Amino acid sequence: EWLDKEEGKEVMQQWEDDWDDDDVNDDFSLQLRKELESNNEKN
Amino acid sequence: IETARIFDFEEFPKRDKVTYMYYTGRLEVFNENFPAADQKLSYALMHCNPRSEANIRMILKYLIPVKLSIGILPKDWLLDKYNLVEYSNVVLALKRGDLRLLRHALQEHEDRFLRSGVYLVLEKLELQVYQRLVKKIYIIQKQKDPSKAHQVKLEVIVKALQWLEMDMDIDEVECIMAILIYKNLVKGYFAHKSKVLVLSKQDPFPKLIGKPVNS
Repeated sequence: EWLDKEEGKEVMQQWEDDWDDDDVNDDFSLQLRKELESNNEKN
Repeated sequence: IETARIFDFEEFPKRDKVTYMYYTGRLEVFNENFPAADQKLSYALMHCNPRSEANIRMILKYLIPVKLSIGILPKDWLLDKYNLVEYSNVVLALKRGDLRLLRHALQEHEDRFLRSGVYLVLEKLELQVYQRLVKKIYIIQKQKDPSKAHQVKLEVIVKALQWLEMDMDIDEVECIMAILIYKNLVKGYFAHKSKVLVLSKQDPFPKLIGKPVNS
């Protein structure tokens, strides 16, 4: 038998539930923006 | 397994309780009962021997897809420490709304995901990735012209998908948006004739934060 030590608790803290932010400054979003804007020009 | 219920669960030795929760948790994964799977596997994780990295890894192999299904992401630290890097790109795909990356990540580790039996669970994350992509399109539109941002032309989504190497016509995209609305991943309605998805002005992209996607 073992005692509940720090690590079990530590592992339970390694999750994020509020990651779905409004940030669109990452590379993927910047490319997406470019793609959408280039389409607008064509239309 | 069911007969164990006539005993008091707490009386069993800790290692047996952990083993029981691990296996019944895995069963719940296959039943696609994610809140129950989350509860059982989290119990196993919290109470297992913290020195046994192999056991922690075994539990996480199932707990991670379960958590992803209810909108909760593992931090990179966890994936690195327990060598579960096959999930890295799946997580990144969810964060980005990158359908191409999700498809590639599933293909790349297909064998491993099929063997552990979580492939079908991971495949269903696609809807969350669609949600994220439409949300990004909405935010980008909003920055340009806030007054019209809640109207998303289906052809704009078609273009974004083409960029992600997914060839779909307007009708197929409309169908997927209908599923997102039905599953409450998007709040809004269609202007069918003008081929526009009209988003609700209030909370158009409800977050899961621990709840499963409606089925």
